[in-house]
Amino acid sequence: MTDVSIDDLIDGLADDLKPIRPRRLLRGGAWTAAAWLIGGGTLLWLLGMRHDLAHGASMAPMPMFAFWLIVALGLAATWSALRMGLPGVGRDYSGWRWAGLAALALPLTALVVGLGDTHAAMHGMDPHGGMRCTLDGLVAGLGVGAALFAWLKGGAPTSLERAGWVVGVAAGAAGAAVLALHCSSDNMVHIALWHGLVVILSAIAGRLILPPLPRW
Amino acid sequence: MSLDEPSLARLMAASQRGDRAAYRALLGDCRTWLARYFARRIAPHQVDDLIQETLVSMHRKLATWDSDRAFLPWLAAIARYRWIDMLRRQRDEAELGDNDAAVGAEDEAVHARLSLDHLLALLPPKQAQAITLVKIEGASIAEASRICGQSESLVKVNIHRGLKKLSQYIESE
Repeated sequence: MTDVSIDDLIDGLADDLKPIRPRRLLRGGAWTAAAWLIGGGTLLWLLGMRHDLAHGASMAPMPMFAFWLIVALGLAATWSALRMGLPGVGRDYSGWRWAGLAALALPLTALVVGLGDTHAAMHGMDPHGGMRCTLDGLVAGLGVGAALFAWLKGGAPTSLERAGWVVGVAAGAAGAAVLALHCSSDNMVHIALWHGLVVILSAIAGRLILPPLPRW
Repeated sequence: MSLDEPSLARLMAASQRGDRAAYRALLGDCRTWLARYFARRIAPHQVDDLIQETLVSMHRKLATWDSDRAFLPWLAAIARYRWIDMLRRQRDEAELGDNDAAVGAEDEAVHARLSLDHLLALLPPKQAQAITLVKIEGASIAEASRICGQSESLVKVNIHRGLKKLSQYIESE
């Protein structure tokens, strides 16, 4: 390739230039929030809120703790995924990892609770109802997953495998957060296992499905 | 020609508004910057191709630069992505048994290897040797096999694994 052909390329690109609207993180965040509200709202409208919230009461402390932990993970992962769409060497995308580490408090709490009450632990691990919860959570996170995928497709993610993990975690946490507002179980083993499985399965799906798609 | 960050950011902001003269100047500056960037990373005969690929990618992704942020890290991220993509393609070619043209022993080639040498030092010696012989010095798989004392298929495997690791090192940079 010669200098002349690079000059020709530069002329061609310059002639092709049209005004463009820069992509803004806040706009991407707004679309993702809208996707979460629509997906979550639809699920809650179809399946209903958990019984205490439906009666205007507050959630029990432990499920509320789990809910906010998952919300924090979802927000951190969503923010990281949005930032991955706007490249820059030296930018830090690791916020979601810290939130993920904090979310390990969930299975640890479940372990402690389960060791103290094996009957409750066995009940919490019962796949009847548990698997349905996981499925509902996966469906509820699809909107967020699609919104983040669309954002990355139009953006310029430079590490596609990492983006796949992060989008999967964000979608899974979004779905698990909706699930926490629907599922009436206060059993921490159930929440850690079946609701946590939503995040894990979604992360794996994101890692497997996403990387080849937004390649640019 | 102005390769300082504020000037480049101003040109880029004007380019996003559709100013073709500013964009032409920006692309010229980016070409100079990219030539320096890639000169320390790939063989000289591949630099122009990679500059062109990067300029086209930059053109397609103009909207992903946020004027609140610095310009050069954005350009560097795109350049690095294209560089990794080229390494991946070389890895795939290695699987098929293709070879690159030999690189001359001029000054430029020595400079181009500076940062590669640093990366190659992170690899197991057999992988680094196979990559150096075939992908940098232009030896055929058969010649590399004789020099390394490894079977031809093992040379290919070492190139494949080594280039994969190099991509991972660069991505985690």
